[in-house]
Amino acid sequence: LPNVDVFIFDCDGVIWRGDSVIEGIPETLAKLRSLGKKMYFVTNNSTKSRAGYKKKFDSLGLSDVPAEEIFSSSFAAAAYLEQTKFKDSGKKVYVIGEVGIQEELDLIGVDHFGGPEDGGKKPDMGPGCKLDHDPDVGAVVVGFDRNINYYKIQYAQLCINENPGCEFIATNTDAVTHLTDAQEWAGNGSMVGAIKGCTGKEPTVVGKPSPLMIDYLCEKLGLDRGRICMVGDRLDTDVLFGTDNGLKSVLVLSGVTTEEKLLSQENTITPDFYADSIVDFFVDETAAVEAKA
Amino acid sequence: MNLSKSALTTFIGLVTASSASAFTPAASRAAHSIATRGRPNVVIKAAWSRGASHVSGGTALKANVLKLTEPAKDLLPNVDVFIFDCDGVIWRGDSVIEGIPETLAKLRSLGKKMYFVTNNSTKSRAGYKKKFDSLGLSDVPAEEIFSSSFAAAAYLEQTKFKDSGKKVYVIGEVGIQEELDLIGVNHFGGPEDGAKKPDMGPGCKMDHDPDVGAVVVGFDRNINYYKIQYAQLCINENPGCEFIATNTDAVTHLTDAQEWAGNGSMVGAIKGCTGKDPTVVGKPSPLMIDYLCEKLGLDRGRICMVGDRLDTDVLFGTDNGLKSVLVLSGVTSEEKLLSQENTITPDFYADSIVDFFVDETVAVEAEAKA
Repeated sequence: LPNVDVFIFDCDGVIWRGDSVIEGIPETLAKLRSLGKKMYFVTNNSTKSRAGYKKKFDSLGLSDVPAEEIFSSSFAAAAYLEQTKFKDSGKKVYVIGEVGIQEELDLIGVDHFGGPEDGGKKPDMGPGCKLDHDPDVGAVVVGFDRNINYYKIQYAQLCINENPGCEFIATNTDAVTHLTDAQEWAGNGSMVGAIKGCTGKEPTVVGKPSPLMIDYLCEKLGLDRGRICMVGDRLDTDVLFGTDNGLKSVLVLSGVTTEEKLLSQENTITPDFYADSIVDFFVDETAAVEAKA
Repeated sequence: MNLSKSALTTFIGLVTASSASAFTPAASRAAHSIATRGRPNVVIKAAWSRGASHVSGGTALKANVLKLTEPAKDLLPNVDVFIFDCDGVIWRGDSVIEGIPETLAKLRSLGKKMYFVTNNSTKSRAGYKKKFDSLGLSDVPAEEIFSSSFAAAAYLEQTKFKDSGKKVYVIGEVGIQEELDLIGVNHFGGPEDGAKKPDMGPGCKMDHDPDVGAVVVGFDRNINYYKIQYAQLCINENPGCEFIATNTDAVTHLTDAQEWAGNGSMVGAIKGCTGKDPTVVGKPSPLMIDYLCEKLGLDRGRICMVGDRLDTDVLFGTDNGLKSVLVLSGVTSEEKLLSQENTITPDFYADSIVDFFVDETVAVEAEAKA
């Protein structure tokens, strides 16, 4: 605690699990704020915008968290386009993904289309048919899309392969994710994999573990990386995000990673510390209280 | 590696940043069996060793790629078996290319054997036979046709999949299903899963069959999240479950008018949620060639691969010790073939296979003029 000014929390497996807040979280966050610590909440899930996630925080009893502290990968994609002055090009974005990306693009005034409404489309593939595409698409943004289909894949392929300079941006590349508590569900790694597979191109990845969100935070807020601590439940996105970017890192066992997996010989990613959950940030307090009692 | 960005796009469908592996034909072919996992591969080595010139800078075209001008001397006496790619060689979309039926008849009359190989898995061999018939090529029996749907079934047959008693989950269309029926392997999925949507409410999970021993992924214009999640669960949770891809072509001329996203996208989706590389049965994997040569006792040095794509067809030939001819009747232009960025060199190139008798035609024309 004395060595960290800013905490960056992954959400799923750290703050909540699916739709339930993890025990002790609201009190822990309140204690950290009272110590003067700053905090940000980072999630690779692009299906909601920051405003959309604010509603989730509210519903879980965490209404102290303002939208500005939330960094969804949908926001990260918009932040990237803003930093690279995409709006000045006058071009459009084709969206594979859900409303979160669309809402964030609206906030930065970038023209976009695609998204959920293309989920019902099927291209005509009879003799001599072709899919027409807009030559003014300057970027394809790919986020998790449970309505992925061939129309979207072909549309993105045409834009990336035929529009000169068209960018291929991915909100994240997580292979699987706990979209429901009960199972690991195929993540945006599949949507991005589909577009890689028909273009041969690598995307610009804006979500963890890409440095983009950290660079954005540090630049905008003038933060000292050595005094930032990344807290997450996944080694390959969260802890790596921390270690790759000169941050401190803590792995919590309240999510998908077990102590066994963390300590196994095959694991090559080492956090500075690990804990059962962030409630343990005050474990010596609790122990002292118990000892006294 | 002196590859420019546009040369890299020539290898689309083969290269993925995380798993590019060099394939060394000479060394590994001896050890290469049907059971070996084929990897998407980039063969720079074979092309370099063929003396492809690499003058840096400039737009000078390569001088060492030979046009086929004397096939009666340089090609036909040295080849017993032709392997033809279909689209861009025999037909374009739904129309047969001019002169093809006569050319094939002439080759048969010379005693040449021929096979027709296509990476398109949507039809079975029997399905393709109907296409050949409709194009006036009814001389071609189903046994000469090697679709990647057939290749997937041949792979499962050679690896004795049926003995395991397990099932195949199919992402793809009827071609794969028909070929699996022919070898008596239990399968499900395919087109009927195109309409399914998983329930993703709180606490929901998708149930999957623990007896799926292989997921076969072929081109599927009805790809959806249900299929992706089902395949993910099988591959990640069923011990030993195989991930088989009919092919990994990035784009393909599904209609004449446009390049359409190919099976590279379906396979890419499954790679993206499993982190695994598939066993690829179609070109340019050696599988179909190994199968052919083993089953028919062919001498590779007297087989000629003929195709219109450098990165699937010609590479298929050069990687496997076959002769190769690139025809310009499909997607590859002469300019692209001869450009400095291209590193794949066929033995010869020609406008189309009609030119296999070009000196005959020339001789006839010369006689007529005399």
